[in-house]
Amino acid sequence: MSAEGVPEVPPLSRRVTQEGIRRYAEASGDHNPIHIDEEYARTTPFAGTIAHGMLVLAYLSEMMAAAFGDDWLAGGRLKVRFRAPARPGDTLTARAEPRRARQVNGEPVFEYGIECCNQRGEALVSGTAEVVVGRSR
Amino acid sequence: MTSANLPSVADLPRGHELPAAHFGLGADDVRRYREAVEDHSSAYGQGPDGPAWAPPLAVAALALRAILDQVRLPAGAVHAGQEVEFRRPVPVGVFVRSRARVAQRSEMRGAVVSVIEFDVGEDGSATPAVVGRATVIAPRGEAPS
Repeated sequence: MSAEGVPEVPPLSRRVTQEGIRRYAEASGDHNPIHIDEEYARTTPFAGTIAHGMLVLAYLSEMMAAAFGDDWLAGGRLKVRFRAPARPGDTLTARAEPRRARQVNGEPVFEYGIECCNQRGEALVSGTAEVVVGRSR
Repeated sequence: MTSANLPSVADLPRGHELPAAHFGLGADDVRRYREAVEDHSSAYGQGPDGPAWAPPLAVAALALRAILDQVRLPAGAVHAGQEVEFRRPVPVGVFVRSRARVAQRSEMRGAVVSVIEFDVGEDGSATPAVVGRATVIAPRGEAPS
């Protein structure tokens, strides 16, 4: 537990691949060519394909679901900015830093600063996560 | 309707409501999503054909898909931010309804910043299971992507 009584959350790592991006496009229905058309993407300011922001956000949500289970499904909250794109070949690490525990409407809430960084330590997604503890019971 | 015929997100005024969308959240949909994001967590329980509950971000992602079925993102549009709140688990195998509206719209240096609010709930439920806000920055007057 952290100094403020907020439990640690184990980090999670994933490697981004073009095949994974293609699968996400199929699963989500988001076929924007910036994600899947390498020839088109080379003509854009990104100079290549990039992963969907929601794909990167999925890693953060999975990390929190693995830590909190039903409480995440029934009382999780994410608020993030997409700061930079994830690209095929990147290895991303999702992390959560315990911030504080508080009561909201009589329910305990744990708050974290979260980010997803690439292998160079650049924060591609950052923001906050909160989870209401015990709502699922 | 092709994407080119859809209204650009940059052209939608504040307060504009998109038609409600209905879609299924079947076991195959959830399996494809989990494979795509490599989510092998056991947090979603066990049902007869796989997990009992959908990953909550899968529900949000499909709600965003429903928005993209009705709104065009012009070339150069950027998904700049996302808020999402999970209020209860959504079972695999149900049909859900999503709603969306333009909650905020502002202009800044030739770009339009739109905040799209959405909510998703099982068909027939009175309250949403997942709510969210997507911030999109889109250039004005750009050709469709």
